[in-house]
Amino acid sequence: MRRYHLVVIGAGPAGLSAAIEAAKHGMKVGVFDENARPGGQLFKQIHKFFGSKEHKAKIRGFNIGNELLKEAEQLGVDVHLNSVVMGIYDPLHITVAEDDHITSYAGDNILVATGASENMIPFEGWTLPGVIGAGAAQTLMNLHGVKPGDNILMVGSGNVGLVVSFQLLQAGCHVKAIIDAAPRVGGYGVHAAKVARTGVPFYLSHTIVKAEGNEKVERVTIGQVDSHWQVIPGTEKEFDVDTICLAVGLSPMSQLTRIAGCKMVDRGGLVPETDEYGQTSVDGIFAAGDVAGIEEASSAMIGGRIAALAAAKRSGFVTEDEFETEYQNQHASLMKLRKGMFSHENKGRTDLVKTDEGYPLSMSLLKNGYIAEDEIGEYPGVGRTKKVGVHPVIECTQNIPCNPCQDACKFGCIEVGETITSLPVVKEGSKCVNCGMCVASCSGQAIFLVDEEAEEGFATITLPYEFLPLPEKGDKGTALDRSGKAICDAEVTQVRTSGAFDHTALLTMKVPAEMANRARFFQKREGVR
Amino acid sequence: MRIENHPIIDSYQKGKKVKFTYDGKEMEGYEGEPIAAALRAEGVMTHRYTKKLHQPRGIFCAIGRCTDCVMVVDGKPNTRTCVTMLKEGMVVETQYGVEARRTEA
Repeated sequence: MRRYHLVVIGAGPAGLSAAIEAAKHGMKVGVFDENARPGGQLFKQIHKFFGSKEHKAKIRGFNIGNELLKEAEQLGVDVHLNSVVMGIYDPLHITVAEDDHITSYAGDNILVATGASENMIPFEGWTLPGVIGAGAAQTLMNLHGVKPGDNILMVGSGNVGLVVSFQLLQAGCHVKAIIDAAPRVGGYGVHAAKVARTGVPFYLSHTIVKAEGNEKVERVTIGQVDSHWQVIPGTEKEFDVDTICLAVGLSPMSQLTRIAGCKMVDRGGLVPETDEYGQTSVDGIFAAGDVAGIEEASSAMIGGRIAALAAAKRSGFVTEDEFETEYQNQHASLMKLRKGMFSHENKGRTDLVKTDEGYPLSMSLLKNGYIAEDEIGEYPGVGRTKKVGVHPVIECTQNIPCNPCQDACKFGCIEVGETITSLPVVKEGSKCVNCGMCVASCSGQAIFLVDEEAEEGFATITLPYEFLPLPEKGDKGTALDRSGKAICDAEVTQVRTSGAFDHTALLTMKVPAEMANRARFFQKREGVR
Repeated sequence: MRIENHPIIDSYQKGKKVKFTYDGKEMEGYEGEPIAAALRAEGVMTHRYTKKLHQPRGIFCAIGRCTDCVMVVDGKPNTRTCVTMLKEGMVVETQYGVEARRTEA
């Protein structure tokens, strides 16, 4: 029987990070994954990640996946693919179905990093072909290059629903609407805003009434819900769609920890009870990532590293002192992410009305997916004083853990400070050279370069643009406001691409001067989408 | 339904072009992609019909969890097409209940 110092189940962000950390400390590591390709959901994530440099912020998820795989390979980690771990048996053995045979492996330590699966909601017509999970849409379009459909209704306004909606637009699909039964947008405001400005309407406090069609989805009816989640008669709306994407939460896939006899607790789904190091109630069995409690990939990677360090200490690969130092580093990094409006302690809260700094939260952003014009002037990234020349306008209005904008500006125009959930501040009197690095580095696509007086009667606005076909200099079209409404004519004056921008093009458009603080998206005359 | 150009993804990890049959009809896909992806690219939505009520089912989770997308592949029923990779000459058939042909009740 093969034996590893650490058996890792699941080759996603938590599992791979753990394998790397353990192998670095001299442990022989075997990673098992049921899929044909490693990486878990990382390779489906084509957006730039949040956090700070140490969390691999502004790097796209699939590139982080590639980095992790390369590192694991260099460290000699064994990755077993197409390998379904069927059970964990006393004391620390796993049985694995590989091809058509079953093999047993022993681990001095076992880390369960099996992730989560998507939730679903039942409604009339929910079994029709064309009703899919949002993750299924990501799998089809981002891994396999196949459009899940042409006309799509997204159900769920959490980060998954918002991010996948944007990715559907990038793949060339039409997102007809994003709906959510909750009264507030669940995910980051910046993710909502970048979808809303392209013209996708948000319907909060709405649910699906029914999906209809002959053999497949052809139509969907939604309706507004009252405070008891019941559809209010007369509020129904119909959309012609061929695809309904469900992004209604995730459930931990914790079955293996149950089989192993770990003590389980209900934390938005059954998860193994763990201490701060990921150690479950069974000595030598650890859990990290979504299986230990739904979070996101950045914190899963740190959780994996912490569990690996604990396993290394347990088996004598690191001393108590080494462990303590390294754990404190990882823990500090994790705590930076677990702050702000979307942290555990604030999860599900609907009573928040102010940022940590005391700025009023945009209620329109929470209700409609975009910041209203009378709300935008307030924020420290937007600036209240009259500016001369090009300057950044940072429409980042919620406390989310992210600071690449601060690192991007070499001229010190932007400050986030030590607490990475703080709102970015555009510093008075600083000199913007129009390099565009802040625009490209903002994972939330919330930074614009605005010159109110670019020429007599006209302003220019530089915005992040991640769609095809890429407009060209001289293209004429329409400027859309934050809500996606057409507000004026616009002409493209510059399109910048660069390796440093990592596939985010910087589109500069010229609009009438009075539209400088309203125009936020460009649509080519023939219709970009 | 194939994405020809993508603003972020430079290329998809794909094998060579291969032929397969879907209910006797010749179709094309790429070796190593899930059968389900190849079918969706060809516009096929229904993978199977349920045994009792004869209701259509297609892709739902696309990661091998829900088993809604099972079909008869090379004669083997209940094959999860979202995690079974396409090969040259595969015979893919709509599944009725657990069979490749609809049997009258």
